[in-house]
Amino acid sequence: MPGVINRRELVQLLAGAAVALQLPAADPLAPLFFTKDEYALLDQLTELIIPTDEHSPGAKAAGVAAYIDRTAAEAVDPEERTAWRNGLQEVDQLSKRLHGRTFLEASADQQIATLQKMSANEKKPGTPDEKFFSQLKSATAFAYYSSSVGIHQDIDYKGNVILQEFVGIAVS
Amino acid sequence: MLLQIQSSQAPEVDLNKIYDAVVVGSGAAGGMAAHVLTAHGFKVLLLEAGKQLDVTKELHSMQWPYDNPHRGKMPPQYKALTYNEYNFRNPPYGQNSKYEKVTSYIQQWNGSDYSKNIVVDEKQHPYSGTKYAWVRARCVGGKTNIWGRLALRLSDLDFKAASRDGFGIDWPISYADLAPYYDKVDLYLGVSGVKENLSYMPDGLFQRPIKLTPAEFHLRETLKGMGRIATPYRAGVTTDGLKHNKYRSRCFGRGACDRHTGGCDIHAAFDSPTGLIRPAMDTGNLTLRPNSTVYEVTVDKNTGKASGVSFIDSGTRQGYQAKGRVVILGASCLESTRLMLNSKSPSHPNGIANSSGHLGHNFCEHLMGPSVAGFWKDLVGKPRTLDDGKPGSFYVPRFRNMEKQSSDFLRAYGFEGSSGTTMIPGAAFDTPGFGEEYKKKVRDYAGAVISMGAFGEVLPRFENQVELDPQLKDAWGIPVLRFNYKFGENEKKMALDMAASGVEMFKAAGFEVVSSSSHMLTEGWSIHELGTARMGSDPKTSVLNQFQQCHDVKNLLVVDGAAFTSASAQNPTWTIMALCWRACDYLADQMQKGDV
Repeated sequence: MPGVINRRELVQLLAGAAVALQLPAADPLAPLFFTKDEYALLDQLTELIIPTDEHSPGAKAAGVAAYIDRTAAEAVDPEERTAWRNGLQEVDQLSKRLHGRTFLEASADQQIATLQKMSANEKKPGTPDEKFFSQLKSATAFAYYSSSVGIHQDIDYKGNVILQEFVGIAVS
Repeated sequence: MLLQIQSSQAPEVDLNKIYDAVVVGSGAAGGMAAHVLTAHGFKVLLLEAGKQLDVTKELHSMQWPYDNPHRGKMPPQYKALTYNEYNFRNPPYGQNSKYEKVTSYIQQWNGSDYSKNIVVDEKQHPYSGTKYAWVRARCVGGKTNIWGRLALRLSDLDFKAASRDGFGIDWPISYADLAPYYDKVDLYLGVSGVKENLSYMPDGLFQRPIKLTPAEFHLRETLKGMGRIATPYRAGVTTDGLKHNKYRSRCFGRGACDRHTGGCDIHAAFDSPTGLIRPAMDTGNLTLRPNSTVYEVTVDKNTGKASGVSFIDSGTRQGYQAKGRVVILGASCLESTRLMLNSKSPSHPNGIANSSGHLGHNFCEHLMGPSVAGFWKDLVGKPRTLDDGKPGSFYVPRFRNMEKQSSDFLRAYGFEGSSGTTMIPGAAFDTPGFGEEYKKKVRDYAGAVISMGAFGEVLPRFENQVELDPQLKDAWGIPVLRFNYKFGENEKKMALDMAASGVEMFKAAGFEVVSSSSHMLTEGWSIHELGTARMGSDPKTSVLNQFQQCHDVKNLLVVDGAAFTSASAQNPTWTIMALCWRACDYLADQMQKGDV
């Protein structure tokens, strides 16, 4: 599938960044920036935001976490990486406050409840976890809807083709 | 003789000979000057400060986002300035940035992988003064490589606006003077549109028009009842092809033309390199030298006339002189102005051709920001259709201050709009919530959305001006511009009316309004800088005559947006080219007679 990022290629591309980040360069399937635990949490959060449904696959199938991992690894501004790391910690802390366990240890309903709390003030986020939700949601939305899954399977976009005649209603 | 170690990327050109014309800048203006004068048989040297880019390699018009390493965004070491950075700081922007290259906002909010090499590095090209989003492209073709391609005509409502409302001065021409040249531009470059018989936005010689989406057609029908028009986008795009131009294909509705400033890699959309420059080279009369940063118009001490230009090679920084019978500036409104201000001599102590003191003044453009967005309920959840396979969607021309002054502000504005499904749905970013409900909503609303944003005439006020910064220089040591430019009360009042009328029209059409704004974007956002060397009948209050010759120096012409006497509500590029064609035809006649 063209939308799935070739991770081996990525690791080669990002060898410089990986060295700078002192990441182990060995495992081509390892996340580029996040720890394996962070990556698992991120992967689950993105899937809860855009889940697989009857119509189309969700964020996991679209490789959303991998795209976010890559942009974080590549970011020139180290604060971008810090924001992701701190944000994921916020999620776990919020989950512990609400449910007494980390996000991934919590039940499906508890995970939804945590996300609902984070998204309560989406238009005007105030708390750190609310702000992180905005960051997470817009990154997830962009990564999903710019993926092959998002464009072709979910949205069923018809354009970017060669047309002999324009489509639509003619006026004269 | 020392060997030059650093080699220039520019071709060897003969700088000993006196060219008939030296043209500075290779965009819409400079390209058109080169085309018209070479067609008349004159020998032209065209100097471009930027590189010769293979834009076909840059643009990748049909690339899917997921096939681009950064999904169409710029690589991480590049940084596009954001709205906040423009608005809460004064220029220079990008100094001391940790990013390798800092660009202007370039049309889409997060920067575009496709135009990253077309726009300049802010670090090399600083400016100072009031906040201003100044988008510049230094490469052969300039901004025509990425322009929005709305190709509109101005009318006597614009050319004689001062007589009607008392603000500023009239243009020294009327529509009848320019109409034949609009026709020439239409036929030579191709323009798509529908005839509407509007006196205030005259029809062109249109090629195959684009079609409207159901929501757009519904808006068109609604507006008819309000005495307004929503017309298919008048695109500077050849939709039928051009038999006389082998470098350009006709439009195939591949769409996504404005996807992260994608541009058109088959050149159906007009760009100067394929529309004007390559055909001009085929005449054998054009010499193009890229990497040539012109910093001064030179003056013959005896005659006071322009004798040529001084430039440095942008790569090697070696200095050169080029000589011409005439010098034609088309470096973009503000760059031509800067070049003239930098051209000081005993006969022109305040910059060349500035005896009026108007050079750099009367700076105007289009106000942007006020907008309305919503959706049409009838389309929610409907089967997907192909909505964006076209070079633009629709345009609502001006409707304020027509027969008489009827608003609490002067002049007018129009709306550019679009609707329907795009490759990446906007609804994904403004639909609240998460989970299945969110996902379904994005999908259901993706095809139902419609939005439009206003472009309004900013008044040409004398106090809005650019001048040379006494200290700051660019990476080539050339003094840069200092802006003293702000929107005023007229623009603020207009912005309020833009938002209100946008909402009014959407409501009349039965669209659900999701958001509307009267907020003005940063000065400069429209990329339509105009007026800083305006045309006029009176040499005391204008820089150029009606043929774009400097009143003070008849063999120096300014053929870009600087020449505009007022901004009009309509977009400027097609008018820049029509004016330039007219000026160069006149110039050719004068040169043949030996009058210039």
